[in-house]
Amino acid sequence: MKRIAAVLGVAVCLLAGGAPSAAQTLKDSLYNPGELKPIDSTLKVRKGQAAPDFALPSVSGEKVRLSQFRGKKNVVLSFVPAAFTPVCSDQWPGYNMARALFEQHDAILLGITVDNIPSLFAWTQQMGSPLWFPVLSDFWPHGAVASKYGLLRSDGVSERALVFIDKKGIIRDILVTDINKRPDLEQCAIALEKLDKK
Amino acid sequence: MNETFQKIEADPQLKGKVKLIGIGAGNSSFEVDYFRNNYKVPFPLFADPDFKIHKLVGEVRTPYYIGVKNQRGAAPKVYYSKLGGSQDPAELLAKVLTGSGVR
Repeated sequence: MKRIAAVLGVAVCLLAGGAPSAAQTLKDSLYNPGELKPIDSTLKVRKGQAAPDFALPSVSGEKVRLSQFRGKKNVVLSFVPAAFTPVCSDQWPGYNMARALFEQHDAILLGITVDNIPSLFAWTQQMGSPLWFPVLSDFWPHGAVASKYGLLRSDGVSERALVFIDKKGIIRDILVTDINKRPDLEQCAIALEKLDKK
Repeated sequence: MNETFQKIEADPQLKGKVKLIGIGAGNSSFEVDYFRNNYKVPFPLFADPDFKIHKLVGEVRTPYYIGVKNQRGAAPKVYYSKLGGSQDPAELLAKVLTGSGVR
């Protein structure tokens, strides 16, 4: 009887990271903030209310306003704490791989951090594959949008949070997750399903 | 890796002798299933949501490749260990076969 002579194991962060060589370079330049208080803010919005409107500059140059998607697209706001940190640098490239999941629910993703545009530009450039969604800077007035939603932490960065907004501009779900961990895609998928229900 | 798997399966000398598995470091079962379906991965993938396997292999950065040889009457032996993606399936397979002594 033949026996297995060799096994090639592959440790792959499946829903994280960009092109291997680029991801490797990026990981070499990340700052590890250590273990942080999981959640450090109090929400100012709730499910069922109209999402506060905002306009923020994007890395690609144009200003993006939340209300421009009203009647056209569901919107998912992805607040992440900081550029060049390990969990955030896994989370957003992971959404590149999960793009179809958002599109299946006719949703656009808006990535938001309190970093300035040059930092966001440098960070996203190093991810390897370009992100499919707009990356917005909530740098000035510092963290104003995060603060409006009650997602600004006491140290000036935002929570790791996902806000699901339907085509009428109503908040349908809010996930504020442990800042130290990448949110499970399943929670996001469940919240996206809710956007389809009238 | 799909191509590497297909090369193994298509070669009568390798099929059944060389197995390929993937481990999703930090990924939940849902994420692994999503990845499997989205990229039509034909070989087994395992979730490692709490990084347990990842810690056992030394918390390597990913993607990381480990070649293990199962030896009769002895502990499995690591014969290949490499950080970073191999873009050439033929090159990766050649290293696996040479390192393991399969060919």
